[in-house]
Amino acid sequence: MIEVVNFTKRYGDFLAVDDLSFTIGKGEIFGFIGPNGAGKSTTIRFLATLLRPTSGEGRVAGHSVTGDPMAVRRVIGFMPDDFGVYDGMKVWEFLDFFAVAYEIPRAFRKKIIGEVLELLDLTSKRDDYVSGLSKGMKQRLCLAKTLVHDPPVLILDEPASGLDPRARLEMKALLNELKQMGKTILISSHILSELADFCTSIGVIERGKLLAAGSIGEIQQRIRAYRVLKVRVLGEDTTRAKEVMSNDPSVRQIESFDHTVTAEFVGRDQDMARLLERLIQSGISVQSFAEEPLSLEEVFMMITQGVVG
Amino acid sequence: MRLFDNPVLTRELLTTLRSPRAFVLQMLYIAALGAIVYFAWPAESEGLRQVSPSVARGLFDIFFLGQFFLVALMAPAFAAGGISGEKERKTYELLLASPLSPGAILFGKLASALAYLVILIVSSLPLMILCYLLGGLLLSEIIRAYLVLILAAGTFGLLSTACSSFFRRTSSALVVSYLVILPLAVMCVVLTRTDAPSVREFVSIAVLPPWCLAAWVVLAILVNRRLLHPPDVGSEGKDVIDEEEEMKYAIGVVIDRDLFPDKLFAPAKRTDLMPDGANPVLDKELRSEIFSQGTLMLRVVIQVSMLLSIPLMAGLLFLRSDKAGYYVAYVLTFNMLVGPVFSSGSITQERERQTMSLLLTTLLRPVGIVAAKLIAALRVSTVLTFLLTEQIVLAYVMLGELRARLWTLMVFFLIIAVTCLATSTIGLLCSALARKTATAMVMTYLALLLLFAFPIGVERYLAGDQRFTDSQLAAFTVTSPFSAALNVPMHTTRADMAGLNAQPLKVADTVLVNVAGLRLPVWLIFLMIYPPFCLAGFGLTCLVFRFRWWRAGVQG
Ligand SMILES: Nc1ncnc2c1ncn2[C@@H]1O[C@H](COP(=O)(O)OP(=O)(O)OP(=O)(O)O)[C@@H](O)[C@H]1O
Ligand SMILES: [Mg+2]
Repeated sequence: MIEVVNFTKRYGDFLAVDDLSFTIGKGEIFGFIGPNGAGKSTTIRFLATLLRPTSGEGRVAGHSVTGDPMAVRRVIGFMPDDFGVYDGMKVWEFLDFFAVAYEIPRAFRKKIIGEVLELLDLTSKRDDYVSGLSKGMKQRLCLAKTLVHDPPVLILDEPASGLDPRARLEMKALLNELKQMGKTILISSHILSELADFCTSIGVIERGKLLAAGSIGEIQQRIRAYRVLKVRVLGEDTTRAKEVMSNDPSVRQIESFDHTVTAEFVGRDQDMARLLERLIQSGISVQSFAEEPLSLEEVFMMITQGVVG
Repeated sequence: MRLFDNPVLTRELLTTLRSPRAFVLQMLYIAALGAIVYFAWPAESEGLRQVSPSVARGLFDIFFLGQFFLVALMAPAFAAGGISGEKERKTYELLLASPLSPGAILFGKLASALAYLVILIVSSLPLMILCYLLGGLLLSEIIRAYLVLILAAGTFGLLSTACSSFFRRTSSALVVSYLVILPLAVMCVVLTRTDAPSVREFVSIAVLPPWCLAAWVVLAILVNRRLLHPPDVGSEGKDVIDEEEEMKYAIGVVIDRDLFPDKLFAPAKRTDLMPDGANPVLDKELRSEIFSQGTLMLRVVIQVSMLLSIPLMAGLLFLRSDKAGYYVAYVLTFNMLVGPVFSSGSITQERERQTMSLLLTTLLRPVGIVAAKLIAALRVSTVLTFLLTEQIVLAYVMLGELRARLWTLMVFFLIIAVTCLATSTIGLLCSALARKTATAMVMTYLALLLLFAFPIGVERYLAGDQRFTDSQLAAFTVTSPFSAALNVPMHTTRADMAGLNAQPLKVADTVLVNVAGLRLPVWLIFLMIYPPFCLAGFGLTCLVFRFRWWRAGVQG
């Protein structure tokens, strides 16, 4: 549904996005993550037909982003990361404005506006001035705006920033609902826990380079080679356990706290079993020996640190 | 109060003076002044003794007047964005919440706005001294002139800063500053340049300084109060403006969308969905955005212009009906001042408010957006301008000698209409070119001055010169609506006021200009060149609008 091929963007000498390629299939929810200034918004603006690439090509629903921007605009709902609202307009006028701009006939408009307001829980604000809404409400209003023309593809740049925890949960529910409706969604964020639950795939970008892209499972596979080991021992065995572990070639960076030794492990599964054997042979009372499950957050931290290539 | 260790001042000075542009501009300025002196310098062969003093006086006049109007034009351009710019950039609250005192903020803003202007003025001093060496000038005269210039810079700068603290938008602050400053500037020039030397001296030494100081104190206190207890913070200094609420506390003119003539430029707000096929941008501009900054600016503009029009009407229409062209010139000046307000912000504001990306991802096409913006701006500025023409209509109805030449009324109306079109189109073009509204506005004013006022100045300057015929000189001014209005032939002798039946009147000769073998009056050429020019400007605006964001990417 969305396809980016060798997208590169330079601002003067500064290379903001470097040779980015990825594809997003129909019905997928693609989480686009990366630290500040990584180039997420740049890529998203390119896909939203707002930015001319230095080189590269993009396609949304089969239409070329650079060749046929009007067709692309018809099929996307775009929410920018930073946006303003018009002064002197009420909420319904704002939505009506965009509905007209998307050429929706008057007969449908009333119904649609009512529906999106209902969907985003803004019905009570229908007659308020948009410039008087709080930040989170503006955020919701903007999302409502992206839905008025019922686009099959949604491109959302940090839609949850500025929302309170409750509204975040609601936003998640809403996105899940949109997922059920079969929409393809590209969503960027740096708050990963937000994306973890419902994204079907993610792309990690740092300093303009795509470090990893694929389904969440795939990415975790790649991180297999690198895991965190947590060993809990009884009594005064902590120092000895540390000693034994540090002699193992697959272990790096050992830290101990209380009765727990944490280490980075870069070996294979067999190496891990052998390490456990050795610990027990040394007479250390191992209470637990386990691999820490990686949260998306940690995956992100590792990838962006360049630990995983 | 921290004066020179003032972070506001330091930051502003760093950003303005550090730029190479500032330096280049100063070089150009000095070069231009130098060129004038060079060309006007009496040649050896001319009897130096007789010629020099008059040359020196001429140069002195040019320098003084030129710099005075430079101050009147540039002081608001630099100062009117001082505080409103902070509001627009959403840094106003940060600034107010800092431990800087309001006085320090005001001083920093004012000093940084005026520093460059003062540098320019002072750097012309050596050239002035050169003229002094030609003889014919008194040192006291030069000192007096510079005193007036500095006083004017201070007063105009402070006035603009005060406007800046009262309005939310730089554009509003700028236009109100100009509207207040231009009459003051004209008055000041008239007073300090009368032929009676004693009056001159008296005014510039004994009257101006105390009045200016008093004005400074009052303005400083007002601004100080406003910065100390800002009524306009919260949601970045732009709270929701409820028109009805505002009207309740309005003084003087109120704007009522339901009444004539206000509904001409401000159609009622929508209560229901737009009809199919409406241009949403046009609808939005006219119904929602025109008053989004409050109606204060518009009300001030309407009131001041009406106030000024009364004595002008008496003098130029009813007492000397042959001077009707000058009244039209006043209407044109008004349009020149107010027209750009509604057009030069229309594209930059979308950028500044970060609504551009929302607008551009819809199915609206650039031509549709730009056309809507132009029509909305044109409509408001035309209606406001034509409000001032009812006095002309009145004069044509009441005065027989005018009634006899009814076609000139049509010509005047056409000139005014074409001027409205020109100011709006140029404003819109600048809005597409610039990044900030304030820049766009200043660009528009400069372009308009260059097209409208500059040719007249040159014509007047060269008027006595034998090398040019009247026709050649007139040809130079065809871009100026002022020239067009003043070249509409009016009768030269007054009609008998008692009998409304006009007597046969002598009509002034019209200067004709050669165009491709035809000899046409200036006003006709003016009316013919602007429509295609505006069409081209519109096309250019669409192109710039399209390519600008496409090239650089939309910010926000
Ligand atoms: N118009 C521009 N001119 C110059 N540089 C730019 C421009 N826009 C973006 N950049 C630079 O490009 C880089 C990528 O910016 P981008 O906005 O895409 O980051 P981002 O991933 O969205 O970050 P954030 O999480 O903070 O929103 C940044 O380093 C930024 O400084
Ligand atoms: Mg971003």
